[in-house]
Amino acid sequence: MRRAGVPLLVGLVVVAAGIVLAVLRVNPYLYFAGCVILQYVVMATAWNILGGYAGYVNFGTPAFFAMGAYTAVFLIQSVRAPLPVLILAGGLVAALLGLGIGYLTLRLRGVFFSIATLALAVVLQTVIMNWEYVGGSRGMSVLRPSGPPFGSYVTFLFTVMVGLAVIAVLVARFIERSWIGRGLAALRDNEEAAECMGVPTLRLKLFATTVSGFLLGVAGAPFPYYVTFVEPNSAFALDYAVNALAMPMIGGTTSWVGPVIGAVLLGTAQQLATVTISSEMNLFIVGVVLVAFVVLAPEGILGLVRRLRGR
Amino acid sequence: MKQPWRQPIRSWVLIGAVIGNFVGIFVLAGAGAFVARAADPIKIGFGMALTGGLSANGKPALLAMQIWKDDVNKKGGLLGRSVELVYYDDQTNPATVPGIYTKLLDVDKVDLITSGYGTNLIAPLMAIAMERKLTIMGMFGLANNEKYQYPNYFQIQPAGPDPQTSTAIGFFELAAKQNPRPQTVAIVGADAEYPQNALVGARDLIKKFGFKTVYDKTYPPTTVDYTPIVRAIKATNADIVFVASYPPDSVGMLRAAQEVGLQPKIFGGGMVGLQFTSVMTSMGPMLNGIVNYDFWAPEPTMLAFPGVKEFLKEYQLRAEKAGVDPLGYYLPPYSYALVQVLGQAVEATKSLDQQKLADYIRATEFSTIVGKVKFGKNGEWAKGRTLMVQYQKVQGTGIDQFRGPGKKVVLYPEELKSGNIIYPYSAAKN
Repeated sequence: MRRAGVPLLVGLVVVAAGIVLAVLRVNPYLYFAGCVILQYVVMATAWNILGGYAGYVNFGTPAFFAMGAYTAVFLIQSVRAPLPVLILAGGLVAALLGLGIGYLTLRLRGVFFSIATLALAVVLQTVIMNWEYVGGSRGMSVLRPSGPPFGSYVTFLFTVMVGLAVIAVLVARFIERSWIGRGLAALRDNEEAAECMGVPTLRLKLFATTVSGFLLGVAGAPFPYYVTFVEPNSAFALDYAVNALAMPMIGGTTSWVGPVIGAVLLGTAQQLATVTISSEMNLFIVGVVLVAFVVLAPEGILGLVRRLRGR
Repeated sequence: MKQPWRQPIRSWVLIGAVIGNFVGIFVLAGAGAFVARAADPIKIGFGMALTGGLSANGKPALLAMQIWKDDVNKKGGLLGRSVELVYYDDQTNPATVPGIYTKLLDVDKVDLITSGYGTNLIAPLMAIAMERKLTIMGMFGLANNEKYQYPNYFQIQPAGPDPQTSTAIGFFELAAKQNPRPQTVAIVGADAEYPQNALVGARDLIKKFGFKTVYDKTYPPTTVDYTPIVRAIKATNADIVFVASYPPDSVGMLRAAQEVGLQPKIFGGGMVGLQFTSVMTSMGPMLNGIVNYDFWAPEPTMLAFPGVKEFLKEYQLRAEKAGVDPLGYYLPPYSYALVQVLGQAVEATKSLDQQKLADYIRATEFSTIVGKVKFGKNGEWAKGRTLMVQYQKVQGTGIDQFRGPGKKVVLYPEELKSGNIIYPYSAAKN
């Protein structure tokens, strides 16, 4: 009981710290940059549930993210739904998508699964581009609701993102430490062997694609209110796929902490690169760091720490 | 096996360290602002597409603004303070805009802002500007303010109060005046934002002028082969062919038309990209006879505006070094004019107060290098001034022929007309 309570408590403390930060109304830029970094924490964590724990590399991250964003746009357009509804609905739609993709691509493994997810992103982007109601290829401006808490909408979004990040991390941690995580690890190491040992690989894979999809959708749902303008090219940006994959790889894919470390480090570096050196450096940084880690520390920062401690 | 990582307490320490690091970096980034304030110039901040899809226009726009800054500083700056431009690359990605502008406003503490280049990059800025009640100058945005009706937004592209019909109106007015009068129209465009708007405008105008539509279709923006489309248009034997396209499809349509031998009486209209130097020099004589919208051409009527000759001379000198559009006839004069308006407003109101500036800009007619500018409904030009030009006597692909008048003759509007249309289209081909 005590063991389960500690992370929950820490989570609550982090959320409280986020709210305090919002009330303090420090430099607003912190909230903008923080929002993006926290969004990456959610995305990296979500990606890692499927990619890290189960070993199924998903290149279709933008598809799930954009599903969340476009579900939100749809609901804002049609009923002006409040943010919690948007987040929940975005998550559910993306979870359904994840479940569907899980079913359709069950027989695909390794690189073929990855290609299928990439194709999914392309197909969905084409659908959205031709759907006039949510802006089609021209995109759509979204008006933020007036009178947000903490005086500014982005400050409010920041606290929401803190909450979402905490939830995502707690979910990932729970999965990792439960029998599900052990099952997924078995599946990652050798799917046939796991199957023979009685691990319900089918159900576990479906579970992982659904939960991962849900969290990616959740990350995307606040996006329309953050940018106030949604268009397919930026919602389906390849950057999301690269970042969601690079962050856990850099942090370490075997533990829930890995994606968090990766997202915070890489996200911060990218935010700073955009406004200091040159934004061309953005993906360049990711690329170089990723290559360096794949070559020098394939188990990410966590693996590196572990290795250093082991000596 | 020893697994220290499984001990939760250590992982929390590491997380703490990482978060501490992240907060520290931001504190440092914020501290930079205080150092920068000592010199106290007037700072104008913006994001600009220096990479990504719109960078071919974003870079020249930036260069034009830098020339303005130097011109102003040579004359002693604004309000006795020098002017400094603070800008970041928005990567042609709307998602970067909120972060960039908050950094500009809260960390760099800029005094004034302008938008980046293009509709999609202006859109995310609207919410920020409205929340903070800022005055924003928009650079080539199409109908950005329709939804918001924000009174302190001003846009420099001379599309006028009715942006939807602004591209097509000159084209159809010209067509209606020709003898023998053309009767049938084919309209075609990409399935994307601007072309769709232009087609809606074109349909209205076709009705207004009493032409008969014989072809009205769109194509996906990813189309590669335009021959089937052009063949289908040719089969209708339309007198007028109106095309609303983005740069890659403009080039594709033109090449296909050449190949298929499409020869309507009047051809062109809303083709984006033909205005760019790189496209002009690659298409060469294929452009002859095309009647297309434009915003600027080196014709005597356009060069008459005070200051524009000096600006272009300076621009072309610097463009070569900077490796950007060597002629700069599409966007640069307007981006220079945009900061000119802002500068003139600051000088006249003797203030950096956002509301005072907006009130002044709304009420005043400005004299700029692109002529007199007066803003009206939704911050658009009170009266539209989209030109219709015809490419004439283009020979080969040399760049120098485009520097002077005669290659891109202004046909519309009447007050800026610099030559006569060659009609029908086939006559200009020979």
